[in-house]
Order: sequence, then structure tokens, then C-alpha cells
Amino acid sequence: MRENLKRFVWGLVLALACVFPQGVLASIDTIAVDVGISVFKTTPIGIVPFEEKPGIDWIEERPHQILTRDANLSGRFDVVASEKFNLALFSRSKAKHYMTGKVEPTADGRLAVDCYLYVSQSKTLLLGERYTVPQKELRRAMHAFFDKVIYQLWGERGVASTRIAYVSKIDGVKQVVVSDYDGFHRSQITRDSTISMMPVWTRGNKGLVYVNFKTNRPRLYTKNFGRPEKPLFEQFDQTYSPAVNPVNGELLFSSSKDGKTDLYIGNMETGKARKFAYLKSNQTSPAWSPYATEVLFTSDRGGGPQIFVMGKDGSDLRRVTFMGRYNERASWSPEGDRIAYTSMDNGKMNIYTCALDGSDIVQLTNNAGNNEHPTWSPDGKLIAFSSNRSGTYQIYIMRKDGSNVTRITQAGENTSPTWSWFYDENKPQPKEGSK
Amino acid sequence: MKNIVKIALISSAACLALVACAKKQQPQTDPAAEAAPAAAAQDSASAAMTQAQADSLAAEQARLEAERLEAERARLEALINQIMSEDVYFDFDRSELTEKAKELLAQVGELLLKEKRFTITIEGHTDARGTEDYNFTLGAKRAMKVKEFLAAYGIENSRMESVSYGKEAPKAQGETEEAYSQNRRANFRVNIKQ
Repeated sequence: MRENLKRFVWGLVLALACVFPQGVLASIDTIAVDVGISVFKTTPIGIVPFEEKPGIDWIEERPHQILTRDANLSGRFDVVASEKFNLALFSRSKAKHYMTGKVEPTADGRLAVDCYLYVSQSKTLLLGERYTVPQKELRRAMHAFFDKVIYQLWGERGVASTRIAYVSKIDGVKQVVVSDYDGFHRSQITRDSTISMMPVWTRGNKGLVYVNFKTNRPRLYTKNFGRPEKPLFEQFDQTYSPAVNPVNGELLFSSSKDGKTDLYIGNMETGKARKFAYLKSNQTSPAWSPYATEVLFTSDRGGGPQIFVMGKDGSDLRRVTFMGRYNERASWSPEGDRIAYTSMDNGKMNIYTCALDGSDIVQLTNNAGNNEHPTWSPDGKLIAFSSNRSGTYQIYIMRKDGSNVTRITQAGENTSPTWSWFYDENKPQPKEGSK
Repeated sequence: MKNIVKIALISSAACLALVACAKKQQPQTDPAAEAAPAAAAQDSASAAMTQAQADSLAAEQARLEAERLEAERARLEALINQIMSEDVYFDFDRSELTEKAKELLAQVGELLLKEKRFTITIEGHTDARGTEDYNFTLGAKRAMKVKEFLAAYGIENSRMESVSYGKEAPKAQGETEEAYSQNRRANFRVNIKQ
């Protein structure tokens, strides 16, 4: 069964290679198909290549290719690809809508891209956007359009314009980098000779909080993009595991002193912080609930690490995980109903989700190296994680049911992804020329 | 590598300190030598003799001092090397000290009792398995267990600092139990109190 599936997928890849001969496969690699029953309800959507005026020297992927990848990654759509509008195909595939557009070069060397969303049956235009951008900004323009399509069809915000912060080994030193959610437009944030790690986003995606070892110990720093770095909570000895409160921006973090690790909560502006919970056990890996009313964390009170939850005032402490000896680093789904965490069994790390009472455990990764550090997309549809299934640690995205695993980093060693918050819809990603 | 640099720095600092002491001693002998000519100005020949003798004596003293200093530096270096080579190993997801670890720590404790100027930083480490976060807490627990043992041995807490590196500074690379067991450790950095 699995063999057949594999054969089918490779057949598909070969077929695709024939259709899109140049450069496409280099960046699109959604080949891994996870077994397991998909619980995803996806909507078929037609995608038709954009009408092209001559005179464009393509270095990037074509607009429809970028939209196809966004649609495949989104966890919301099944792509029905067609070389041109084909009502019979779209009807048969139940693709009620399709996307297409026009692209032409401008006199100053940019691209003018018109993007359309149509109703298949009636060819009614639901959404039209024009972006005039340099070719290297095309990808982000298409992400912006794709998120508008999601909003049009689902009434929800999409994640095609979001970003991911992660740790990348550069010249042998772990540094914090940021890229678009699909792995493109990567930029390096820290440039230290000492290890940087554990990046999380501050509210409004203005910057990051992360750990650096420049004082020979783990310590938290914050940096707004384009601004200098600032040490945080220097009154504490060793600080790590940052978690930004999604409502008021306060920082929950771990601090170890004399072998004891506790959670603290502090204001990054004033530098003031206080102990969050008075517990005998060690606590780490805090994570906020979507509306910051409760906190997940890991405690070693049972010997090994297990996941617990309590109210933000320290009340109503209860244990979430009971299966296995090593359950760590939980994160709360944006929809609030489930948590994702990493569990170790026989020395191998794998990603699981479960309900908040610890029931309904679903193993998302299996038999593919170590899989760690799950982070939810802000719409709750996807989970990014790091895995060494290919031999080196790389960042992957999957749907929240574990299907559709797609690798988004290609070279070096990349770990510890953290998904950004939603990007403000009022600030489209291409800085100039949109609309 | 870093350790070697540190030792070099420490020993050069010690050398400088001793050279400074040696220089201070010279003025103490000088007034005596100058007083002699004042008392018996006519016997300039003998005064010159005294001066020469004093000079050679001072030179001899400086040489002995330098030798003593070199011996001291070598002794300290050997001690520091010994302490820094005494890695303490742990079992998986454990911070209890093994019997072997206790033996090693007793030796380190002895050295620290003898050499009061040493202060140490105890670094706790874990193997590559598990999350970054939990491994920081585990490394902190391990470093603390070592600190507690040495405190019970009579080492003042003010001379010891503990810090966790989690799984970020492995000694051995690879995903074998051999590498893992090498990395589940606490080790020492030594500083000399000024």
C-alpha cells in the first residue's frame, strides 16, 4: 500500500518535472506523505497560469507556482491545476473557485501583476488586486494576494504573509534568523561569536526575544528589528525559555539559580519581574493560552519532565500528560482546544498533540529521525518543527494532523522554529507599489 | 583551547605580580647602601665593594624569586589542569552523583582546600537528547549537585559558581551512547582570586 503510494508520488513528481521543467523542483519538495488518516477538510481550488506579456526575464517562480505552493502549504485547499480555464475539469473536481491573473513588465523593469479570484461556474470576479513590484518582491506580493483570497473565501486571516524565526548554524555558531513562512527571504538577526537560541516573537512582530551566551551563561535579550540588542532581567542569573503574553506583551521565562529552576514573569520595558509560581519542583518551557488566561509548563516533580497547566494567577494546577516518561515543551493551539508537544521514546523525539485534559493523543511524526520543537501557525492549521530525518536538522511544516510534511530549509543545520503572529493586514508585505 | 589561554593569562598575571614585588624590595636595600657612604665617606673603595656586593645579592635574590615564581606558576598550572580535567559524569536524565563522581570530587575538594585562592565555576552539561529547555534545567541540577558536594567538603559557597550549558556545549560529537555518556557531565573552570 505504502509502496504504491510512494510510486504514485514519484510518478507525480516526474509528471510535474515534465510540465514545469526549470527550477521548480528545486524549491518545491512536498514529497513526503505521512500515513495516517487525514482529518483535514480541504476545499478544491483551480489555479490557472497567469497570462504573460513578453519581455520578462524570469528568475523567480511564476505567480501561479507561488500560489500553488501557498495553497498546498495552507492546509485549506486542494489544488486543481489547469493550463487554462476548464469548466469541465473544475466542475468535476468540485473547484468552485479559481485563481489566475496577468503579468507584464513595466518600463522601469518591475512587474505589474494583476491577480484574480473567480467563481468557476459564472466567471464572476470575486477579488482583483494589482501589485507593481520588483521581481524579487513578487513572492511576497503573491503571499499578500493569497491571504486576501483566504479572507474572501473563509472569512479568516491566512498565514502566507507570516514569518518564522529559527536557529541556524552559521560558521559553526548558532545564530537567530528569520524567514518568510515558506523559507524564502531569510535574514540573519544575531551576529555573535557566542551561541544564540530560543527565539520568540514580541507582539506585533516588532522584534524577537532570544537567549545568548555572551556572558558565559544563558541570558535573555530582546531586539527590535533594525535596532540594537538589549539585555533582559539582568537581576537574574540564568534566564531562558521565553514566552510572550499575547495580550499584554509580558514575558514569562525560566531562571535557574543554585540548581533550582523557576518561572518568572516580567515587564520587558521596566525590567521588573517576579516569581510566577511557588512550586517545589523545577519548571520550564512556559506557554500561554491564546487569551493569556492559562499557562502550560513542564515540571519534573514526577522525576522526568511532564506537562502541567495552571491559571495565570497560579491557581488550578493540574497535570496534562501521563503517557510516557518524557513529555516536554508544550504549545497551545491558537484555537485553544489542543496542545502540541514533544515526547521522547527510546531516545527518539516525536511530536504529539492532545486535548487539554490529556485525552485524545495523536502522534504526528513517526519513524523519521528526531522531530522536535512544534510551533503552531497563527491560524492553527499548521505546525512547524525541526527534524533530522534527512540527516541534518531542517525546518518542516505539516498540517495539524501530521499530513503534508514540507521541508522549508535546505542547507546547513536549522532548529527551533517559532512562528510569528499574524502580520497586520493594513501593512501589505511589499513595501512599495502594491495596489 | 580556551582553557590553555586562561592558564596562560593566569600565570602571566602571577608573574607580573611577583615581578612587581621584587621591584618593591630593591628600594628597601638601597637606603642601607646609600647610608654606608655617608657614614664612612673616606673609604670609597670599600663602599664600592659593598655596593657591588649588594647589587649581586639583589640580582641573586631576584633570580631566586623568579625561580620560586616559576615553580609556583608550574604548580598552580598543574593544579588547575588537574581540576579542569576532573569531569564528573552522570546517568541519563539523572543528577545524582555516582560513587566514581564522588571520588573525583573529593580530590577536587582537597585541592580547593589547599589552594584557597582558587574560585571555580561548575558547568553542568547534558547529552544531545531531549529539548533545549529541559536540558538547561537538568544541567543546572547537575552543577548544583556538584556544588553541594564540595560545600559539604568544606569549600565556601562564595568560591563556587554554578552554571548550566544544557546540551549546547558537547564534549563529544555524534549520536552514540559513548558520545552521550561523555557529554552528561559537570566540569570546572578555575579562576584565581585577586
